[in-house]
Amino acid sequence: MAGVALALLFAPSPAARAAETIPPKPAGYFNDYAGVVSKEAALRFNEKLAQFERETSNQVLVAVFRKMESDSSIDDYTRRVAQAWAVGQKDRRNGAVLFVFVDDRKMFIQVGYGLEGALTDLTAYDITERHIKPRFRANDYEGGLTTGIDLICKAILGEYTGSGKTKTEEGGTPANGRGLLTFIIFLVILLVAVRLVRRVTGYGYSSAGGRPFFGGWMVGSGGGWSSSSSSGGGGGFSGFSGGGGSFGGGGAGSSW
Amino acid sequence: MNKFVRGFGKVSGLVLLFSLTGCGSYNRLVTLEQNVNKKWADVQSVYQRRADLIPNLVSTVSGAANFEKSTLTEVTNARASVGQVKLDPSKAPTDAAELEKFQQAQGQLSTALSRLLVVSENYPQLRATDAFKGLQVQLEGTENRISVERNNFNTAVQEYNTALATFPTNMLNKMFGFQPRPFFNAAPGAEKAPEVKFDFNKPTPATSPATTP
Repeated sequence: MAGVALALLFAPSPAARAAETIPPKPAGYFNDYAGVVSKEAALRFNEKLAQFERETSNQVLVAVFRKMESDSSIDDYTRRVAQAWAVGQKDRRNGAVLFVFVDDRKMFIQVGYGLEGALTDLTAYDITERHIKPRFRANDYEGGLTTGIDLICKAILGEYTGSGKTKTEEGGTPANGRGLLTFIIFLVILLVAVRLVRRVTGYGYSSAGGRPFFGGWMVGSGGGWSSSSSSGGGGGFSGFSGGGGSFGGGGAGSSW
Repeated sequence: MNKFVRGFGKVSGLVLLFSLTGCGSYNRLVTLEQNVNKKWADVQSVYQRRADLIPNLVSTVSGAANFEKSTLTEVTNARASVGQVKLDPSKAPTDAAELEKFQQAQGQLSTALSRLLVVSENYPQLRATDAFKGLQVQLEGTENRISVERNNFNTAVQEYNTALATFPTNMLNKMFGFQPRPFFNAAPGAEKAPEVKFDFNKPTPATSPATTP
């Protein structure tokens, strides 16, 4: 109770946050919610950024929105969005997100803790102000984003080396596998326990009541498992999943 | 014999259970306290980062033709008084008054800086230089980081203080001398990050309370 009250008290500027929405985690690396670039370009950007994660483990995302859904300042809002998306690997905290708000004519590069050294505020400012902004002003979104992505990747190239796989490609299975493993262990323990109870007490459950119910439950959850593990992956489009990176206010932006 | 063994088993089980939960809470408190100290170090380092920017800023600005002297000396003085409030960077303060003093000094520096940036509006030539723009960007980024780290610190303190005040951990604080930690308070306004912010592309800056004399 006191904890909740304290949490409310110390939540930064609740008034500023009242009218805002944190968009849900994006499906890909390049996300054009405003429809400013062609489909081919979007796919190309997405593949480039996915490949960049495979090679360097750095997660670089681009999110183009129509409007900023917040009353807060762009740096504050986008930091919380990037943090919520958990862009970057957890231990390296090497995420960066280029946010573009087309109708507000504003953009901001959020830089995760682990990349602050390579992609400094000044570099980020230079990229948005001198390279992206002139193209955006000329309504050349594709050109601006091409250079922006290139320069961000160039700035942080060499900071870390990747594993050859994106988080999506290597992730997903461990959690599922662990779930399956605990399930199997649980089953084994249950079976052993049932055996023991039978042996000790001398009588088992009435087969009419116990067995079918037990079997039905097993089949039911087994089906659920297999269906959830078969989804995931998928050809053509490289999906994004956040690695748990965090953001501390690094980065800079411009408006055009 | 049998009875004795059983009774002994029960008692030792209880003792074991209690000591285990006790150990768990103790370890949790230590972890939380260390987290508070770590977050405090983060706060210190971002404030230090800002302090380190100031000599450069001052020299850049004073290079501009007849820049208003009083705002510059104000920044320099505030920077000096920040340097005088020395707190242990590796251990979060336990004394609320101590933290208050620290906060006041930093708040003064924030106010002086925002005033300087507002005054710089009157010097378009200065503002057009790369050096000044670069400093602005860095200062802005540093203010963002300060507000983030202060927030993280407050969250860590809150978690620790809550653990300290609730059962069963509250039984340990007397025994082992854990003390609750004070928070940063955001109320005075002098330390709010947005004050130093302004848009490079808008002719008029965002007005801040510090600008009205």
